[in-house]
Amino acid sequence: MMSHSVKTILKKELKSYFTTPLGYVFSIIFLFSIGYVTFESGRGSFFVLRQADLSSFFRYIPWLFLLLVPAVSMRLWAEERKSGTIELLLTLPVTVREAVLGKFLASWAFIGFNLLCTFPIVLTVAYLGQPDYLVILIGYLGSFLLGGAYLAIGCFFSALTKNQVISFICTVVFCYLLTMAGSPPILEFLSTFLHRYFLDLFESLSMIHHFETMGRGVMRVGDLWFFAVIILAWLYGCEAILDEKKAS
Amino acid sequence: MKRQTGNYFVVTLSAIIMVLTVYIGNSWLKRFKVDMTEEKLYTLSNGSKDILKKLNTPLTLKLYYSKTSANKGTEGLRIFNNYFFYVKDLLEEYVAHSRNNLRLQVIDPRPDTKEEEEASTYGLKKFQLTETEKYFFGLVVENNVGTEKIIEFFDPGQQENLEYEVTRLIYSVINPRKKSVGILSSLPILNDKMTPYMAQLMRMQGKAPQESWIITKLMQEFYDVKNIEPDTEKISGLDILMIAHPKNLSEKTLWAIDQYVLGGGKVLLFVDPYSIVDNVISKARAGAEKKSNLKKLMTKWGVELEEKKLAGDRFLSGVGRMNARMQPQRLLALLECDQRCGAEFKDAITYKLGSMTFLYPGSLRVIDKKQKDKKIYPILGTTNKGNSYEFSTWKLSDPTYLWKNFKDGSKPVHLAYKIVGKFESAFPNGVSVKKKDQKDKVEKEILLTGLKKSTKESAVIVFSDVDFIHDQFSFKNSVFGIGLANENSTLVLNSLEQLGGSRELLEVRSKGRFNRSFDVVDKIEFDAQKNTAEKVSEINKRIESFEKELGELGRKMNEGNIGLIQNEGIKKKKELTKVIAKLKGELRDVKREGREKIEKLGSNLQYLNTLFMPSILLVFGIFFQMRRKKGIRKDS
Repeated sequence: MMSHSVKTILKKELKSYFTTPLGYVFSIIFLFSIGYVTFESGRGSFFVLRQADLSSFFRYIPWLFLLLVPAVSMRLWAEERKSGTIELLLTLPVTVREAVLGKFLASWAFIGFNLLCTFPIVLTVAYLGQPDYLVILIGYLGSFLLGGAYLAIGCFFSALTKNQVISFICTVVFCYLLTMAGSPPILEFLSTFLHRYFLDLFESLSMIHHFETMGRGVMRVGDLWFFAVIILAWLYGCEAILDEKKAS
Repeated sequence: MKRQTGNYFVVTLSAIIMVLTVYIGNSWLKRFKVDMTEEKLYTLSNGSKDILKKLNTPLTLKLYYSKTSANKGTEGLRIFNNYFFYVKDLLEEYVAHSRNNLRLQVIDPRPDTKEEEEASTYGLKKFQLTETEKYFFGLVVENNVGTEKIIEFFDPGQQENLEYEVTRLIYSVINPRKKSVGILSSLPILNDKMTPYMAQLMRMQGKAPQESWIITKLMQEFYDVKNIEPDTEKISGLDILMIAHPKNLSEKTLWAIDQYVLGGGKVLLFVDPYSIVDNVISKARAGAEKKSNLKKLMTKWGVELEEKKLAGDRFLSGVGRMNARMQPQRLLALLECDQRCGAEFKDAITYKLGSMTFLYPGSLRVIDKKQKDKKIYPILGTTNKGNSYEFSTWKLSDPTYLWKNFKDGSKPVHLAYKIVGKFESAFPNGVSVKKKDQKDKVEKEILLTGLKKSTKESAVIVFSDVDFIHDQFSFKNSVFGIGLANENSTLVLNSLEQLGGSRELLEVRSKGRFNRSFDVVDKIEFDAQKNTAEKVSEINKRIESFEKELGELGRKMNEGNIGLIQNEGIKKKKELTKVIAKLKGELRDVKREGREKIEKLGSNLQYLNTLFMPSILLVFGIFFQMRRKKGIRKDS
């Protein structure tokens, strides 16, 4: 199903996360932060709410991903372009699509690995009460898809620029816009100059809306469709940009 | 350059296609979903879906929620915020199944706006959060001819019943007529001939008027209630037939009930193996039958009342006395049902009812579990430790004897069933009745024939007790007049309400548990509270003994030793104040102990979740980096 070239790139990329300090730094920051914010002593604290579910955990996933996933994606192509290895990669018997897919899947698997490393919270909730495990599973699936969507956007901006910082900032801004697309203050602001129809279009792009629905244990075909379209569209954009660079 | 422009054009085009695809997908695929929650919280039951299928007029659901105010509110409002999302999701489900007949409007009523005024006009409950901010959380269902029904406030504590409440509301908007209830009983439940004026007149004459039971007065608020003669050939024009303690009914009447049910009529039945109320009323007639008998029909309906058996439960037994000379004690005959009795069956009639009192209830069971055309749901039962026990009438007033012969069971004894579906006649060959010929004025035997099977779906709700609806066991006198003693009357009204609705409404079940609290933390708190309760009672005892001593001192004071008594009193008071202060200190320690345990558990779990995996990764990272560096050094 997956071509040999994609597998090779995937393995090489995935290995790089564990052979360089970058992967460890990312994982440690992510795991520490998500544990901290889940238990932080505010209103939504896991221990204050006293509900045997992971709503306080999943609530923070989009915001942590918003900062950390662009950090993973920024180097995907920008680094290759800066160091000049992109030319080498694209002269190998690999299509641009295979290269994009291999790199994307490796990063996505790395994000999946980080999500798996949050298993102590599942054990905690199982110890404290009687959670609905299927809801938790769907919440994790939603988080994984959200990570994939952020990553695909990051891939696109990484391919667009040589500068990792620019790639990072552009990804954060775009992901933030798509995350907050359904937020009343943003919609209120946009409604001052956008027609109602365009406002509806913009609202339908809200990532957090689709993610939260899954977090509540409901798997809508529409949500899966949304994430699939977002991931494929941004990866296609990334491929088109790289095609253009390759040609030039 | 041309290629570059082409590629950017492709990217822009794909972005537009992406936005449109997402939008179309959102609109079209929204209703296709899998509800993975254990309790199917976001899925409508078939009953609700069937009611929505029958909708042929547009209705508007106006969900009022003061979201902006809630965000400014206190910590306590958080739970309402979560509940709002659940309510909204469920209402969206209704809309998705309504074939465009339902329209949902989510309204955030801000202070001094038209929306806020409307919410108040509809009669929704409002809570003043600040000087200007008001908090609304209710629902209005409206049709285009102006009929409107409301849920004045959504209580998160009633989450399990939410679907039933919303479906009932929609149903009542499309069927606004007041339902009629006929009462057929061997007991004088409804005395429609006795007016309040006549009752007053009789009391003035020193006579006890035979008034209707209070439950019928409650019923009259919602239904047209009338008596059905115990000897009748045909029952018609009723929405619900309530049969209470049927005894010695003629074949003709049984035939009438049978045909009423087969024609789609709904029945609320109270049968009782031993009715204490009947015993009191018919005490003059020694040897008169005290048990209900409707076996012939009930057999066809699929359930039976166990002969000469009563239901008991050690854990639900109430405290009382059988006569004035007896000391109050635990009585097997007095069954005080709490939430455990209905929780398992998740039926909207009994779910969450926490206080129902039954006296000598019987035991019901399903005759044949393989029912083709009907479904039989138990809706009320004892705990798993409940059991049925045989009884002899002359031993019923001896609690010790009853306890001696009672053994704990291993599964619940059912006290009520709901039967929904199609029934068969108990008189397939008809019934012969004697009838006077109008011409000859001579009594002749005539064969009545009718339906052999149900033409329409029907429903029967049967309870194994009748005493629980009597004034003595469901109402009490208070300074404010007659009040509810328990939720017995709610149980009856809930049953009538379900029967008065459609068959579909009867099949809307309560959702299960949603609130998943931390059992471990609750246990710590519970233990701490238990310890505290002991301390509190200890302090109270001390105070009580001191008050006694003070009383004693007061008595001595009257005898003249004022100076001595005052000194003694002050000294005693000081002593006790010290003791109480010490005990209060201990009380605080006990409370703190519980709180500290929870806080410690929270900290440990926080450490586990923030530090455990990062530490492991750190160790692995350092280990692999060092190994890699060593490898590089060796290579060089």
